[in-house]
Amino acid sequence: MQFQRAIQALCDNGVAFIVVGGLSATFLGSARITYDLDICYSRDQANCKLLALALAPYHPRPRGFPPELPFIWDETTLRNSEIFTLKTDIGEIDLLAEVIGLGGFEQVKAYAMSVGAFERDFLTLDLPGLIKAKRAAGREKDLAALPELESLLEADSE
Amino acid sequence: MRTLQPLTAKQLATAEQRLLNPAPGSRIEAARKYGVDLTLTIEQLRLTPAERGQKLEDAATALLQFRGIARRRA
Repeated sequence: MQFQRAIQALCDNGVAFIVVGGLSATFLGSARITYDLDICYSRDQANCKLLALALAPYHPRPRGFPPELPFIWDETTLRNSEIFTLKTDIGEIDLLAEVIGLGGFEQVKAYAMSVGAFERDFLTLDLPGLIKAKRAAGREKDLAALPELESLLEADSE
Repeated sequence: MRTLQPLTAKQLATAEQRLLNPAPGSRIEAARKYGVDLTLTIEQLRLTPAERGQKLEDAATALLQFRGIARRRA
């Protein structure tokens, strides 16, 4: 996964997004490796247009989608669904309009903090938000990440 | 908006002490019993958030390349 290229494309196109999931955990100190980029994005029309433009050069298609079927990547497609699990030329990118346990973009923003990385400044989930989201998601891989994240929270508490 | 900063020397020392010598009944002790290698977590905490991101990108790229080589040989 080329995290840097993906993040730079999103930032340089002015997309309103928040990094959630494994990359957030990495920024916060987790040693676990992730292979995809998960972001929460604002579903307003202007932002969907920017997001469509930002990722278009990397030819996004839904993962597992039959290659012989056409897939149109544009703002209308983005506004017609709330979750996209995409395969792109720069890696796998998941787009979430809503994060389980937290809510939509504005609610997720309440748990976000700014981070400087990959030569850009952007938003990422904080530890309490990430823990809440992982616990609510409840998948095996999310629950397996919790002990380390809770340790980080405890190690950094006053 | 809050900004994610690298840990200060004092914060890092406190975190290391807690992670290496977890209090009984703590979340950290539970994580260690669960099998989390907290020495790796400490190594991450010594880096800046930007360095953590770069390290992940390097590791993910290397592993994906390795997988590609293995797949071609299979």
